[in-house]
Amino acid sequence: MSVSVAWPHHLTDQLASLVGPEHLRIDSETALTISPANTAQVSGILAFAHEHRLSVCPHGAGTKQTWGQGKTPSIFLSLARLNRVIEHPWQDLTCTVQAGCNWAALQQTLAAHGQFVALDPLFEDRATVGGVVSANDSGALRHRYGSLRDLVIGMTLVLADGTIARAGGKVVKNVAGYDLCKLMTGSLGTLAIITEVNFRLHSLPRHTRHFTVAAPKASLLAGLVASIRASHLLTQSLQLRSSASGCFLGIRLNAHPQAEQEEILAQMTRAENLELAECGEELWGTRDSLFAPEATVLRISTPPDQVCAFVDELQLSYTDLEVHTIAQAFGLCDVALHGAPEIITDAIRRLRADADTTVAVLQLGPGVEAPAFEIAAPVLSLMQAVKHKFDPESLLGPGKFFREA
Amino acid sequence: MPSSLTPAVLAELQRIVGDRGLITAVNQLQTYECDGLTAFRVLPSAVLLPESTGQVQQILRLCHRERIPFVARGSGTGLSGGALPTEGCLVITFSRMNRILAVDLANQQITVQPGVINSNVTAAVSPHGYFYAPDPSSQTVCTIGGNIAENAGGAHCLKYGFTVTHVLEMTVVLPNGDLVTLGAKTPNAPGYDLAGVFIGSEGTLGIATEMTLRIMRKPETVQVILAAFNTIQAAAQSVSDVIASGQLPAAMEIMDRLSIEAAEISVHPNYPSCEALLLIELDGPEAEVNLQMQTVTDICRGNGAWETRLAIDEQDRFLIWKGRKAAFAAAGRLSPNYIVQDGVIPRTSLPAVLEKLNAMAVAENLRVTNVFHAGDGNLHPIVLYNRENPGEEERAIDLSLRILDVCVEAGGSITGEHGVGREKQCSMSYMFSDPDLETMQRVRHAFDPLDLSNPEKLFPTPRICGERSRGAYAPHPLETSGIAEVF
Ligand SMILES: Cc1cc2nc3c(=O)[nH]c(=O)nc-3n(C[C@H](O)[C@H](O)[C@H](O)COP(=O)(O)OP(=O)(O)OC[C@H]3O[C@@H](n4cnc5c(N)ncnc54)[C@H](O)[C@@H]3O)c2cc1C
Repeated sequence: MSVSVAWPHHLTDQLASLVGPEHLRIDSETALTISPANTAQVSGILAFAHEHRLSVCPHGAGTKQTWGQGKTPSIFLSLARLNRVIEHPWQDLTCTVQAGCNWAALQQTLAAHGQFVALDPLFEDRATVGGVVSANDSGALRHRYGSLRDLVIGMTLVLADGTIARAGGKVVKNVAGYDLCKLMTGSLGTLAIITEVNFRLHSLPRHTRHFTVAAPKASLLAGLVASIRASHLLTQSLQLRSSASGCFLGIRLNAHPQAEQEEILAQMTRAENLELAECGEELWGTRDSLFAPEATVLRISTPPDQVCAFVDELQLSYTDLEVHTIAQAFGLCDVALHGAPEIITDAIRRLRADADTTVAVLQLGPGVEAPAFEIAAPVLSLMQAVKHKFDPESLLGPGKFFREA
Repeated sequence: MPSSLTPAVLAELQRIVGDRGLITAVNQLQTYECDGLTAFRVLPSAVLLPESTGQVQQILRLCHRERIPFVARGSGTGLSGGALPTEGCLVITFSRMNRILAVDLANQQITVQPGVINSNVTAAVSPHGYFYAPDPSSQTVCTIGGNIAENAGGAHCLKYGFTVTHVLEMTVVLPNGDLVTLGAKTPNAPGYDLAGVFIGSEGTLGIATEMTLRIMRKPETVQVILAAFNTIQAAAQSVSDVIASGQLPAAMEIMDRLSIEAAEISVHPNYPSCEALLLIELDGPEAEVNLQMQTVTDICRGNGAWETRLAIDEQDRFLIWKGRKAAFAAAGRLSPNYIVQDGVIPRTSLPAVLEKLNAMAVAENLRVTNVFHAGDGNLHPIVLYNRENPGEEERAIDLSLRILDVCVEAGGSITGEHGVGREKQCSMSYMFSDPDLETMQRVRHAFDPLDLSNPEKLFPTPRICGERSRGAYAPHPLETSGIAEVF
């Protein structure tokens, strides 16, 4: 168990000596932020925290700190100074980047050779690589390229006791030993601190075109969504936006113009008595906008064939709430709720009662009460056993996943 | 018979699986004494053929109580000794758990038991226009359970990913008999991605008894081009150029002269006779594939391909792939014994590494033939030897492991799809440092504190690696320079 007491001087002095006093900031009586320059310093800080039973949260840009509803730790370990793209061997379609690197900056570097990490996470302008990976965020591109578990090929980690370990490697195909990268992805900083990530890359799409189809209700789009999913179209993303004012299906195609896929898409749309319009990227809307300060934001998983019905159900069953949904056709819906806290709390409870859906609470609005995750008991104890092996004192990301920690 | 398998324990096992589910006769046990890595053999104490998850649970509870190690086994086609029995262990095999349980086309999923043969998954959904993407060359015989344990790949994982990309949910019996569901049929199962860790754990974290897999829409068009080159280097350069041009083919494979000849003798694919054959498969909408094929053909010709053959109809493609997929077995036509290796290197170091391997083979006076998944830098050097010649087997094993050292030194991996198993566990400490391996052990012990599930595999142990150590882990030059700059 971690201690949370006012910082005695000798401790802050020792911490400061690890990184230089200018890289340590006292935030409050009980919390401070420290900014190491490299993996070795991260290791030094964690070894120190371990010795003194101080809890630690890795901190990227702070865009998703509240995910998992942890407690405020004694130490925020900022990765801000680990911000370099270490290498980009573009002929191998891979790169190695430090965890504190800004997501957009990484993509800009990779774009110089026409490549990218095929992922469109939230808050791309601010989010860091480490934060995106720890939160296992993904967006509309997942339809085509998969999620981070298909894109991360290696990592450098620092464990709670300061041990530096590497996982995976620099090649795309590698089954040597356990794939610890999978374990770290989505672990919200509760198992180890990621200091470097190796990605597999893709070539930037060259022929992307955006289309929308509007309808008053998502169920009117269900037939089209199903036929697109079952078709041979080179669909890059298939996303549904819904609010009280109606629904928009966004379709992104990435095919050579000579393949004339937009013609096929237009026919499919007409067959459903709907109208296809080409649009600019901006009409797609960004998921960032769901995260207004007062909003409660959920990420809900549903079977793909039920996405449209589910999106309608959200609008129709919770009439006292303002509901904005951005749903991916593969079955992941980001939902922002506005309204009375008790109604939202109750809505989450009702949603969680449905066996077909899984609800993660990403952001809690004021007064709303709901745990971040619900994990079935048998697998939860296995997760706890893993956590215990990695962080026996529960010092990393205190309170996340396991509330008693 | 080891002491833990008392008559009482045997009787209890028999009660669980019935008479037909228990094998103890030595002549029958011999079938299970090795997998595809035949140089290693150990007779198990008994073999069990459970029929249900419940039976597997009861077996593992008993093993846990009596501290009996167990080894799961699919078809035994593994090439790294993963299903090799451990002294005194039970082997649990799944030939009676081979049913397809549910097909859900609307959600593009299929639920199966672990003993289902890989190609039967595709066969079940093929009439509806779908396929199961991971396609190891052994797909007509290997099981989904074995594929999950090894995170099996195949020629088409360049575009479609490995087994781990295609497994959504698994029912797993833990080494203490507890039942858990890892992953989910919908995206983002909450909590740690334990499914991601279990897949590729080589049977060391428990036993998967039911799995839901992703199926994919069959591509509209498939075309394969065969290009003949005078050097492996030119073929490898073409691979890099195709990738650099922004294409992502479904598969890119290279075969060298020896393996072309071997394939020719065994299945007559009618390949051009050349030093290096490059096989590229493109799939997708027809117009798109036609355009890409033009680019790919130009790249091959630009790199000196003197013959290019396009195979569009299914019959031709089938024959081309048959030759490639028969490559390991065909090595038997070249030499009485052979070892298949599975190193991975960054694609761009292909020419340099191949040159090195050649020199090593010449120095050792052994023949090494090469077939490889060139698109993702996964080499399958096949070391040919004759066990009858004194000392030759040892030299062949040593050469095959030194080949892996070269892969590690090039910044790659000791295994791309066949797993570590018994064969490569001593090479693990050449690729990973002690802290890396200790971190993996933390996972192992969270799942299996008593080391009952396929023990003495995957990790280097003093007992097995004492004399066979590959040398200590040494950081890659890039890493040293990177860190030197950082520290
Ligand atoms: C000719 C030939 C070609 C091959 N080509 C390829 C290829 O292209 N790509 C490739 O990846 N591999 C290839 N292989 C290797 C092999 O076929 C694969 O590793 C395959 O996945 C093994 O499946 P199996 O059913 O034979 O498993 P086995 O060999 O029986 O077992 C493999 C491992 O799986 C474990 N296991 C089995 N079932 C379970 C279960 N239900 N739960 C937990 N653990 C389990 C075993 O303990 C063992 O560690 C090839 C092999 C041969 C002989």
